Amino acid sequence: MRVSDYKSIAFDPPVSINYPWVKKTIRACGPGVKEVADYDAIVIGAGLGGLTTGSIISKNGFKTLVLEQADIIGGCCSTFENQGYKFDVGASIVELIRPLEITFERMGKKLEDYIELCQCDPIYAFITPEGKRFTIPTDIDETNEVVRRMAPEDYESWLEFEKYGMWLLDYAMDAMICSDMNTFSAALKVLLKYPKIYSILPTFLKNHEMAVKGAFKNKDMLASVSFQSFFAGAPPYLGSGIFGMIALSEHLGIYYPRGGMIGIPNGIMNAGKEFGLEVRTGVKVEKLLLEGREAKGVILSDGTEITSDFVVSNLNGKVTYFKLVGPQNLPRWAVKAVDSYKVSMPCPMIYVGLDKKPELNAHHTVFTDTVERMNEVWDEYYMRDLIPDHAMSLICWPSECDDSLAPEGHHVLNWICNAPAPYSPLGDNWDRCKDWYKEEGVRQLEKNVLPDARDHIQVLDVSTPLDFERRLLHPQGGIYGLFSDLTSLAMFRMNNRSRAIKNLYLTGASTHFGGGVPTAVASGVVTADYIIKDHG
Amino acid sequence: MATLKKVLALAVLAAMVAGWFQLKPSTRKYIVYLGKQVPYLPYRYFI
Repeated sequence: MRVSDYKSIAFDPPVSINYPWVKKTIRACGPGVKEVADYDAIVIGAGLGGLTTGSIISKNGFKTLVLEQADIIGGCCSTFENQGYKFDVGASIVELIRPLEITFERMGKKLEDYIELCQCDPIYAFITPEGKRFTIPTDIDETNEVVRRMAPEDYESWLEFEKYGMWLLDYAMDAMICSDMNTFSAALKVLLKYPKIYSILPTFLKNHEMAVKGAFKNKDMLASVSFQSFFAGAPPYLGSGIFGMIALSEHLGIYYPRGGMIGIPNGIMNAGKEFGLEVRTGVKVEKLLLEGREAKGVILSDGTEITSDFVVSNLNGKVTYFKLVGPQNLPRWAVKAVDSYKVSMPCPMIYVGLDKKPELNAHHTVFTDTVERMNEVWDEYYMRDLIPDHAMSLICWPSECDDSLAPEGHHVLNWICNAPAPYSPLGDNWDRCKDWYKEEGVRQLEKNVLPDARDHIQVLDVSTPLDFERRLLHPQGGIYGLFSDLTSLAMFRMNNRSRAIKNLYLTGASTHFGGGVPTAVASGVVTADYIIKDHG
Repeated sequence: MATLKKVLALAVLAAMVAGWFQLKPSTRKYIVYLGKQVPYLPYRYFI
């Protein structure tokens, strides 16, 4: 999205999501009404970053109001119900629970008192282009055995990778995930605290493809460690080699919150509410209330103004600066900076309710591809606005570990089919492609998971990139905020404390690399730290 | 001396060109991509 075309983005259609079990909590206000507030902070967006920041600063005595435009909290990490089946909007697991633990520690609480996490084991299965199936268990010794059978020639390299990776995760988890990296001096502080972290620099500078091909030769092995770059929203040739660590970090455990992914934002919000955090849903913020280049509150879509000492935006950074602030209110260098970022890739999701157990054996099943094919899909299809006929897919089967998600004996699948897919399919749009995509999903489901799927599908729904844009205000449906390449990470990603607008703070995936639950939560922690330092 | 300097500079240039073409196409694309982003880094640092 660039300044010139941001108006074409479909933000304007009214958001109307059918979550029948959610009561609207919107307050009666109207045009011209000024809610003279004694709020210290207004948080725009009840995604994980916004709720984390809001809850931590509430604990620190800031009177905080969170405004969410949808009828339900959580953003991408949420759950909706359709005919008795509960589907997760986007996020499907939480790995690296340390940022969540830190969040609750900052509130003097315990994670387990607010969120019931079930561990998923095996962590994933993957199916190669030749149809070979492998299952990766959580236990690292058992995984070593899988690798030894799958790729004996890469076994020693794997052991080396595993040893180094596990040491790194143990040594520098907090540094890599939860540290402030907004400036060179902040990054230097991290480096001084964890001096051995410099050893990741060569991996960090390489692309993901170079990193994995430098270590492994076997094509099944390469297939098993290459797709993770898409978890950060980039193809193997553009993603940083550091994303290879995702293949290891999952061995620390992947977890699913009982009742659906919404359990995580609910848990954080409930803890925050004990310190006075106020959350209103169904309230859309139209603009930031500005005095010069200083945030003074927000203006809602109905014209109501709510004032506060400072504002935190959990929206995509491009939306925050170009839509809420407005390019005309930004210095020219800031417009150029915001303009230069690409948004992350979109991912259409298919939600399937089945009256039969699917033929799967893990929470996640990945239909992987060769590294070359993943790069080709990016360059030849995604970048040319084409939907690939076959590409990487990921099926999440949450009812495997949580039977509360579907009626007894029934199951839920949340499916990313043929990723990545473009925001604007050439000569068409997603509203028109929706039925075709559903049919493609069913066809692949029959081919790979359940031959008689068509007879057992009770619910079939799709969220297209256009739906994500309308419902979650993700420009172009990008699910990970901004594109995560080497030049938009750490101090080159959007700062948690805006330098263009005083008293504006940002949180969420736009301010932290990748996406996913841990990084979104971590961004909330970093933003809260800034606020406490600035206003505490 | 000046001729020697020119020869050395040409040799370095030739080595760089040869090295460039020995890289995998995807690595070359990666480097070109990063190169195109470099002018934005000062702006990105301050936003």
